[in-house]
Amino acid sequence: MRDDAFSKRHPAVNFAFFIGAIICAVVIQHPAYLSAGMLCGGAYYLLLHGRRGVKMVLGMVPVFLVLTAMNPLFNTYGDRVLFRYFGRPYTLEALLYGGAIAAIFVEMLLWFGCYNAVLTSDKFTSLFGKLIPALSLLLVMVLRMIPNLLRKGAQITEARNAIGRGAAEQDTVKGKLGEGMTLLGALTSWALEGSVVTADSMRSRGYGSGKRSSFMIYTMTGLDWGLLAALAVLLVGMIVLGDRTAAFTPVLNIAPIGGRNLPGFLCYLCYLLIPIALHIKEAIQWRISISKI
Amino acid sequence: MKKSHIVMLLTFLLVIPATLFFGLRLSGRAYYFTSTLVIIEILIPFLLAFERRKPQARELVVIAVLSALAVAARVVIPIPSFKAIFAIIMLSGIAFGPEAGFLVGAVSAFASNFFYGQGAYTPWQMFAYGAGGMLAGFLFAKGRLPQKPIVMGVFGFLTTLLFVGPLLDTCSVFLTLPTISLKAAWPLYISGFPVNLSQGTCTFLTMLLFGNPLLEKLDRVKVQYGMTEEQDGL
Repeated sequence: MRDDAFSKRHPAVNFAFFIGAIICAVVIQHPAYLSAGMLCGGAYYLLLHGRRGVKMVLGMVPVFLVLTAMNPLFNTYGDRVLFRYFGRPYTLEALLYGGAIAAIFVEMLLWFGCYNAVLTSDKFTSLFGKLIPALSLLLVMVLRMIPNLLRKGAQITEARNAIGRGAAEQDTVKGKLGEGMTLLGALTSWALEGSVVTADSMRSRGYGSGKRSSFMIYTMTGLDWGLLAALAVLLVGMIVLGDRTAAFTPVLNIAPIGGRNLPGFLCYLCYLLIPIALHIKEAIQWRISISKI
Repeated sequence: MKKSHIVMLLTFLLVIPATLFFGLRLSGRAYYFTSTLVIIEILIPFLLAFERRKPQARELVVIAVLSALAVAARVVIPIPSFKAIFAIIMLSGIAFGPEAGFLVGAVSAFASNFFYGQGAYTPWQMFAYGAGGMLAGFLFAKGRLPQKPIVMGVFGFLTTLLFVGPLLDTCSVFLTLPTISLKAAWPLYISGFPVNLSQGTCTFLTMLLFGNPLLEKLDRVKVQYGMTEEQDGL
């Protein structure tokens, strides 16, 4: 991942933003809100992943189209019939509804793609280390042990290959399976015995005798508090200041976005634009400071 | 009654019905949102019960090792798309009881998603894997079913095919279908069937070949280091 201004903020800000964005993405079915969500999610995904992200974002287009076109096949509500197949109506209402559901699906994929890049496991555990100490410790241990086990597994495989007992490419599935089970068995014994030693070492150094402190590299700055407040204010603004009614079937009923409902939509848009705005602000500052040299 | 039990009872009797009641009145019938909230509400009391108990170091480390093994097994066995993860979760439940089975399942689902990507399915996966491990614990731990490889294998196959897999398919049904009806949902379940079948077969084979060796290894460690069930809460 490249330098991203929003990723450098406190994990609490990151977590709060994504929880809000993902819940809104699932609950709101209004086309304008969904389009805003898809565009902002896609744009932030591209900022985070650079050129490698283009393929994923473009890949969303066929997913969106297929899911949209599929809905009228199961759902025949609505009275504006586009055409008939085998005597069944294919209605505009159902097609639009399919579009909304497809947009929710695409938005989820995009926002979770951003979430995975921003909220790495170390941020997650440092965020929840105080709240749920035993579970976060468990998670840290698992995340540390997985690469450890894979490394040991590779060593065992090499050792077995060296004495001519490893699985070869041309082996039958049965042979490979047997070899895999042998490997898994050796790995299990090694890991379990190591675990008891770890546990005894933890106990002798006083695990459980007092409150656990956790390594916390992140501190809340003024900007972080400001961002948290902005996220809360914008969400409340969205809920209070706009009508997001959107019903598709059996009768199309979508609240207009202009006029009285506009402030609510603008709040939502600003909410989603926060990470992008931070990113752009930092990029501009960087350019300016370079040009001064 | 213990505090954690009260929390659990309150959740089941009050919070979940309330979520269902309000969720189904949300505009646009937010099936996915409501069902996922219910799943999370079921997960939280179980996880908090573990947190409240202040687990001993040995218990914590053994659960961590089993979860890590369940995730790593995906890579270790040299056959593509052969997943031993369910088998290891269920064997953990068989060896250490329902609670450990649930934790190993939920934690390994969550941890493996740090490598493969968290998504809308994460809470569902945690719940499905955890429930699979818990069920295995209930059925095998107190000798309700004999711990024979073939029995464990058939149990693993059926649980994966009929419970864990369909539960995950339900997540995609709620996420991708605008209106929930049997007619619209069956194609998704049918298309999930081959995947569930192959995972069930993997679970069956792993249980059959690896079930007894793993249980023996766990017993060996227990004897070797003097871990008795009363002392360490395992």
